[in-house]
Amino acid sequence: MTVLILTCEEDVTADMVVVHLNATGVPVVRVDPADLTGGVALSGEYVHGRFRGHLSAGGRLVSIGGLRSVWVRRPGVPAARAAQPSDWLTEEAAQALYGMLRGSDARWMNHPDAARRARHKPWQLRIAQRCGLPVPATLITTFPRAAREFAERYPELVVKPVSGAHPQDPPRAVPTSRVAPDTDFSAVAFGPTLLQRRITKRADIRLTVVGQRMLAARKATAADADPDDVDVRFATPGSPWLPVDVPSCIAPGVLAYLREAELAYGAFDFVEDSDGTWWFLECNQSGQFGFVEVETGQPIARTIAEWLARPVPVQPPHVNGARLKAR
Amino acid sequence: MQPFALNYARPAVELEAAIPYVYDAGLQLNVLHDGRVAACDFALLREFGTTTSTAGSKTHFDD
Repeated sequence: MTVLILTCEEDVTADMVVVHLNATGVPVVRVDPADLTGGVALSGEYVHGRFRGHLSAGGRLVSIGGLRSVWVRRPGVPAARAAQPSDWLTEEAAQALYGMLRGSDARWMNHPDAARRARHKPWQLRIAQRCGLPVPATLITTFPRAAREFAERYPELVVKPVSGAHPQDPPRAVPTSRVAPDTDFSAVAFGPTLLQRRITKRADIRLTVVGQRMLAARKATAADADPDDVDVRFATPGSPWLPVDVPSCIAPGVLAYLREAELAYGAFDFVEDSDGTWWFLECNQSGQFGFVEVETGQPIARTIAEWLARPVPVQPPHVNGARLKAR
Repeated sequence: MQPFALNYARPAVELEAAIPYVYDAGLQLNVLHDGRVAACDFALLREFGTTTSTAGSKTHFDD
């Protein structure tokens, strides 16, 4: 049975997993939905109570019933590279592709429904709270007055995008940034604003979870680091990422989070304070892992490959859409 | 009328160097000009930062 990887061609991080799948002889088909209906083709037939579907890409043909897993990594917008792209064609292509795949028994990393929900940072914060993970005091608001009052309670604040997305017109980055206590918050009225108590950190933590396996890495904050360099993604390179154990008080909450979020993969960002407490910042449901593996040597790609390569659980037959109990 | 968070935006930094590998549809992998698999060259991945948490942020926000 085949592993289907939905991602773009330039995704060299996905390559790290493909290498492991190839080494173990697991068939792989890599598809970028953006290439529908150029280099990628599909067909599905619903006849006599049965479904038979196929995908074709790069000269490879795979039966949808023959998929053991689907890895949604960095897929392009469906049909974005079609000869005559349009919003309508994108919707048609998305419905056809993902609709057929949803009907397969393959395991997902991650299922599109779970992935879509898991991208909502406000939801992440609430799930983390419910799972017992420490969450810094956070406010999301369009009320300038609420922002001012929050700043009075928590003078050390950062601001970050609610969505995590970056504006593209023109292309800009919006790193997590320190907010001065005397800042004018009137512009909060022009867009939802996420303010969070700044944790004085002694390290950043990246915890990559694949199934039940947790691989954590720690990047120490330099003693002379600029306190305005809050966002590790944009800070000047300093200490390397090094493997670290997950504290016993954190691990159950992380696994509970993934269970509740119905995620098979998650890349958690924490900051470690001076007491050693890991504070939850976010969980990226398709977060990058290559940079961690490159620096730490942790076998993240191999762990993902092993998860994707597991056989599909035997499913009992369906009758009139109802699943029979296994005898 | 600019949202508050955009007061902290900065110009996006594009990769200056050309990526030295190209996708091979037959292998389903990116390969270097000498035919080696790019993903196996960790020094190169580190140099070009194509696996970092900001890579791909233009189209995806799961850093």
